[in-house]
Amino acid sequence: MQNITIYIDDKKLEVESGKTILEVCRNNNIEILTMCHLEGVLDVGACRLCLVEIEGVNKLLSACTTKVAANMVIRTSTERIKRYQRITTELLFAERNHMCSVCVANGKCELQNLGYKVEMDSIRYPRLFPQCEVDTSHSWYVLDHNRCIMCTRCVRVCSEVEGAFNWSVKNRGYQVRIISDFNTPWGESTTCTSCGKCLHACPTGALWPKAIVQGQLDKKPEIIEELMAKRKMGL
Amino acid sequence: MNRNDLKVISEKAKEKHKKYKHKICVCCGAGCISSGSEGVLLKLQKEIVERGLQNEVEVIPTGCMGPCNQGPLVKYLPENTIYQKVDCENISQIVQSQIVEKKPIEDLLLFSDFHPKPFINAHDDPFFKKQLKIALKDCGDINPEEVEDYLAYDGYLALGKVLFQMSPEDVIAEIKHSRLRGRGGAGFPTGLKWETVYKYVSEEKYVICNGDEGDPGAFMDRSVLEGNPHRVIEGMAIAGYAVGANKGFAYIRGEYPLAIKRFEQAIKQAKKNGLLGNKILGSEFSFDIEVRIGAGAFVCGEETALIASIEGKRGTPKPRPPFPAESGLRGKPTLINNVETFASIVPILNNGGEWYSEIGTPKSAGTKVFALAGKINYSGLIEVPMGTSLREIVFELGGGIQGGGEFKAAQTGGPSGGCIPAKHLDVKMDYESLMSLGSIMGSGGLIVMDEKSDMVDVARYFMEFCMDESCGKCVPCRVGTKMMHDLLQKIYDGKGTSIDLERLEELAIYVKETSLCGLGASAPNPLQSTLRHFREEYESKIEQDID
Ligand SMILES: Cc1cc2nc3c(=O)[nH]c(=O)nc-3n(C[C@H](O)[C@H](O)[C@H](O)COP(=O)(O)O)c2cc1C
Ligand code: SF4
Ligand code: SF4
Ligand code: FES
Repeated sequence: MQNITIYIDDKKLEVESGKTILEVCRNNNIEILTMCHLEGVLDVGACRLCLVEIEGVNKLLSACTTKVAANMVIRTSTERIKRYQRITTELLFAERNHMCSVCVANGKCELQNLGYKVEMDSIRYPRLFPQCEVDTSHSWYVLDHNRCIMCTRCVRVCSEVEGAFNWSVKNRGYQVRIISDFNTPWGESTTCTSCGKCLHACPTGALWPKAIVQGQLDKKPEIIEELMAKRKMGL
Repeated sequence: MNRNDLKVISEKAKEKHKKYKHKICVCCGAGCISSGSEGVLLKLQKEIVERGLQNEVEVIPTGCMGPCNQGPLVKYLPENTIYQKVDCENISQIVQSQIVEKKPIEDLLLFSDFHPKPFINAHDDPFFKKQLKIALKDCGDINPEEVEDYLAYDGYLALGKVLFQMSPEDVIAEIKHSRLRGRGGAGFPTGLKWETVYKYVSEEKYVICNGDEGDPGAFMDRSVLEGNPHRVIEGMAIAGYAVGANKGFAYIRGEYPLAIKRFEQAIKQAKKNGLLGNKILGSEFSFDIEVRIGAGAFVCGEETALIASIEGKRGTPKPRPPFPAESGLRGKPTLINNVETFASIVPILNNGGEWYSEIGTPKSAGTKVFALAGKINYSGLIEVPMGTSLREIVFELGGGIQGGGEFKAAQTGGPSGGCIPAKHLDVKMDYESLMSLGSIMGSGGLIVMDEKSDMVDVARYFMEFCMDESCGKCVPCRVGTKMMHDLLQKIYDGKGTSIDLERLEELAIYVKETSLCGLGASAPNPLQSTLRHFREEYESKIEQDID
């Protein structure tokens, strides 16, 4: 890989070509907010939190899916970007039922952390309060749609890492839902191997093991990356 | 069949038509079929045989003739007399009067319910007079189910010329010269797109024809696919030769069973005659087309979602770059163009890029097909040179507003577009002019509204459409369209506040700038454009509130 020069927030950087803007930023301690990104699986550009401004490009592009190019001039934290990150966060909170104080993920939730990061002191949009199911049919695990933010990290981990293809998505628009198999209760899935990787991949309190209560969730999303790194080395 | 055989067959087909003295075309586009034209066709064929006129009169089913609301339509050639709202009862009168006595029937003439003096030659009617049919040429004159009919109208001669006399570079240069822009909505220069795909080196490349046409009220592409499928096939094959692809897919929405049937039938006929498949017309070029059927999601018209759908995946868009030209179907360089774009290729190669580039306006060359609908007297399908004014379309071609009402606004570009108010009636219909008014050309939907239309309701309707059709992948579009819809509903119901309006405007900009694909990015357009031109309607609904 050849080295190229790029500029991020007025800092000149020599970086390897072929990398995404997100990778380069993380390697250089430049903070980019993300939610659908998960180390170890492919990026889909769905949450739109990682949007950056690029000089000469009239659209905002997602850092997780856009590769660096020679002489790119990138801005990661303009007022506009910050404003949009805050709206995105508010919309995520307003979309389903996020009651942090009674959630298993309280204190360990990436969505909750995001709220703090963007200094969300209130939600300006009416909460939708949808009636969502809680699927407790699996012997060990729970899927609580009330907390799901549709990042599809579980879907990608299940297909790309575990190879089980249990998870997918049904419906359109704000009515999308994660489904198991062909829309069967998780406990009746014929593809789920009960490996538990999706629980670690999930950023919120949507997927969790039955043995815990409020605030006890212990997620290790980094195990996905470790697993994939080992696999690449042939271990 | 090789290239010489093609000329022979083409001549033969022409001969066959020449032997008839009269030709009667019965419109069998989906519109006229729904008003009963198939029965009319059968009755007419029977009547001709019963009167022993079958060697004099040719009767054929054709594709869409344009004035769909007046169907079933029957056209008599060579005089080009069109009869409207024909039913089986009228048949013997038509044959007796038109064929035997050579007298047209005034009461049945097209638009006789509007004009005191309808035209015997339909081309004299303003509805047709101002039109210039290029993409739709022959549609309404030929039988879309017979390849010989297409050949009689010089079909596949352009493909023959391309394969034997032109290099891929020549073809691309000709298309670039024509200044044709994609008719699927965004208006990207077609020649440039072809060149980009051509330049990527790959063993495998694909050509895709986008026939998903999901805009409510639009039926331009359907009419082309139903009325002249071989034109699209020929255009796709030429594109395949130019960019270096041997495989094409036509993605047609499932709600168009007739278009699918005719297109598949046309593929079979083309293959049988050596016009598709291995070594086309005896050249070294092979090209094959398969049909893929869409399941009715608007978002599947977006190119990356369409590709995912062809691959058998859930139809959700992917971030671009990479663009399909670099990495499209199965990760290979892929050319994707709209139906109408492909339908414009053959005339460009037959008449030259120069000819095409001189039609229309400097930046928007050629013609555009519009589906006229709403509170207008003559709705249906029209094709006009780019740069024709909205006033001409509404008041001359369209015959003005229904019931003598007042023109209030026209919506172009469907849920991705915007409205044009009366004070801009003289706007030229081309990409740039529409954009400067905050609307877009879009794929060609044109809905005319009268003074009774409530613009907040119009915005609410289109937002509801986008909210339902959002694929749900990215946050701004999935949640943003729902929030905007609910706010619009609240204002429409008279319960909105000025804060709601502020939120709405902020969300509109946010959704536009942050959404992953064009659906979200353009979903706020109808809202923003009604706010721009009819803000007072929003405010009047809010003032009633305590606020
Ligand atoms: C939500 C959405 C829906 C679309 N639907 C269609 C469609 O139905 N037909 C079409 O040709 N293009 C549609 N497009 C545009 C395509 O993505 C693409 O730009 C087009 O097919 C390219 O062809 P062209 O260059 O010939 O216009 C749509 C785009 C978006 C964002
Ligand atoms: S269940 Fe969790 S990982 Fe899966 S989509 Fe929902 S929030 Fe994301
Ligand atoms: S903008 Fe809408 S349709 Fe497009 S990817 Fe996002 S959610 Fe899907
Ligand atoms: S992390 Fe890039 S879009 Fe979600």
